Amino acid sequence: MSQKKIYEKDRLTAEERLEAVIRLEQPDRVPLSMMIYNYSPFHAKVKASDYVHKPSVYLKAIRQVYEDIGPWDIYYNINPVSKLTYSFVMMMRLLYPGDDLPENVMTQIEEFEYMQPEDYDQILQMKSNLANNVFRARMLPRFCKETEGLGPIRLRSKLALGFLKQGLFWIRDQRWWREQGLVIQIGYQAEMPIDMFSMARTVIPFSMDLFQRPEKIREAAMKLSPSFADWSIRIARYTRIPRVQCYCHRTSNNFISPRQFEELAFPSMEEIVCRIIDAGITPILHCDGDWMKNLKVLRRLPAKKIILQLDGLTDIFRAKDEIGDHMCLFGDVPAEKLVMGSPQEVDEYCHRLITEVGRGGGFILAAGCEIPYNAKSENLRAMVQSVYKYGYY
Amino acid sequence: MDRLVKFREIFLAFRIDSIDTEIEDLLQTGLSSPELLQACQKCMEEIGKKFEEGAYFLPELVMAGEMFKKVSARLRPHISPGSEEVAGKIVLGTPKGDLHSLGKDIFGMLAEASGFVVHNLGVDVAPETFVEKLKETGAPILGMSALITTAFDPMQEVVRLLEEEGIRERTYVIIGGGVTTKDMVGRLKVDAQTWDAYEGLRIVQSFMDEKEETK
Repeated sequence: MSQKKIYEKDRLTAEERLEAVIRLEQPDRVPLSMMIYNYSPFHAKVKASDYVHKPSVYLKAIRQVYEDIGPWDIYYNINPVSKLTYSFVMMMRLLYPGDDLPENVMTQIEEFEYMQPEDYDQILQMKSNLANNVFRARMLPRFCKETEGLGPIRLRSKLALGFLKQGLFWIRDQRWWREQGLVIQIGYQAEMPIDMFSMARTVIPFSMDLFQRPEKIREAAMKLSPSFADWSIRIARYTRIPRVQCYCHRTSNNFISPRQFEELAFPSMEEIVCRIIDAGITPILHCDGDWMKNLKVLRRLPAKKIILQLDGLTDIFRAKDEIGDHMCLFGDVPAEKLVMGSPQEVDEYCHRLITEVGRGGGFILAAGCEIPYNAKSENLRAMVQSVYKYGYY
Repeated sequence: MDRLVKFREIFLAFRIDSIDTEIEDLLQTGLSSPELLQACQKCMEEIGKKFEEGAYFLPELVMAGEMFKKVSARLRPHISPGSEEVAGKIVLGTPKGDLHSLGKDIFGMLAEASGFVVHNLGVDVAPETFVEKLKETGAPILGMSALITTAFDPMQEVVRLLEEEGIRERTYVIIGGGVTTKDMVGRLKVDAQTWDAYEGLRIVQSFMDEKEETK
C-alpha cells in the first residue's frame, strides 16, 4: 500500500480513505475518482485509434491528464488493452476507432440481437461451476470479430492469452498510479447476468421475454451467478485489488419495473454480491439509469460493504436519505455540465454533492458514469479542486 | 362496443400471440379497419396513462408498441390514404456521432400510435439531413435523441442551420436521451427536453395544441 499522501494536509492515504468511506465512516476528506478513459486521448491530442491499440500511447495520454489536471484519489482503471477480454467481460460489440469507426472518435457500442430464447435453456443445462465462462465464450463468436471462425479450443487459448496480456498490462499500469499515491478502483469488472441478457437479446425481444418467459430469465441468471462471482473473486485476487465492478446497465427503472427487478434480477444480484463480500472483496454496483424505486430492495444487501455508483439519472440527493446509511454513494457530476457548463457551475454542483451527499462520510465524488471525451479541462479542474476546497471534514 | 371487449382484454393483457387471430375474427364480423385502429389507439392511451402514473414501465410500453405495430400493419393497407386524422408530423433522429437508437424509436412508436406521422431518419444523422427533411416534409416538430455527448455539437449545429434557413420560428425542437438535461434547453436554444418517451409525446402534443391556438 502506498503511504504517499495526495495533499499535504491529508491525514489518510487514498487507500485508507477509500476503505473508510466503504465502511460509511467519515474520513479526513471526500475522496475523488475520475473516469478519464474516454477523455484522455482528446486531452492529450493523440489519435483515438492509437490510444486504443497501442498501450504506450494509452499510458502516455492517461498519465498526461493526471499531470495536467490531478491530483485525485482513485484510479478508475478502464484500460482494455485486450479488446477480446473487454468484449468477454462486457458482452457487447465494441466499435473501436480505426477498426470500425473513424480514427479520431470515441469507442462506441453496437447493440444487436445475438442471443435467442433457446439460449436460456442452454444455460439451464450447464454445470453451475462453469456456466458463466462457458456461456460467455459460446456467445463471443456471435458478436466479437476477433473470435469469428475459431473452434472452442482456439477460442479458449485466445481468451487465456487475452486475460494474460490484460493482467500483465494492468500490473504495469497500476504501479505508476500507486507511486503517485492513488488507490486502484477495479480488480475485475463484468456485466451482470440479467443486464447481459438484456443487451444480448436487445430491448424489444428482452421486454417480450419478461412477459413470455420470466422464470427462465430468473433461473438462467441464477445459474450463472455462482461462477460469475467465483471468477470475479479469482481475478480480483490475481490483480490484488479487492474490488469488483458489477455493471447494471439494464436493470434500472428505465428498463424494467421495480417488481421485475425484485423478482427476476435481484436474486442473482444478491447471490453474486454476497459471495463477493464473503470473499473479502467490495462489490461496486455500477447502476446506470434511475434506480430510485429499486433502492428499498438494495437495502437487503449487506450494509457498509458496497459502493453504489449513480450516473445522474437517480437523484443522488434523495438516494442519500434512502440508502446513504447502508451503502457508499459514488457520483454524480453530470456529463452535460462537464461539457457545456462553466467551472463555476461545476464547482457549485460539486460543493452541493460534498455538503449533502458527503455528509458524515460514505461518499466518493465522481462524474455521473464516464467523463465525456469533449469535457472542458477547466471543468475537470474545478471538480478536482472542489474536494480540496470543500471536502475536508 | 361489445365486440371489442375481448380485443381490449387481449391488448391490455399484452397477449401478443393472440392479437392476430382476434383481429381476423373482428374483421370477419364486419368491423371496419378504421374502427379497429381507433380501438387500438384507445388501448395505447390507457397504457400510456398507466405509464405516466408510474404503474407501467418500459416493458409494457414496448409490448404495447409491438402489438400496435402488428395491428397497424394488418389494417393500414385497408384504410384509404388521407382518411385518418393526422396529429402532426415529426422528423426524428439521433445526431451525427451517436449510434444509439432505442429512446428515439420508442418515442417514435408512441407518437405514431397517437396519430403522428414520424419521419425517423435513424442514427448518426448529419445536421443538414435533419434540415432538409424538415423542409421537404413541412414537419413542425424536430426530435433529436442522444446517449453520448458527441451529439451535443451536431444538435447545436442543427439549431444554427434552422435559423440560417429561416425555419427555426416554425419548428418546435425537442431533445431527449439519458445524457441530455433540462439545462440544455437554454444552452442549445431548443424548446424542450425529456428523459421519458411518454412525456415526450405529451410535449409534442402540447406543441400541436399551441400551433392550433396561434393559427
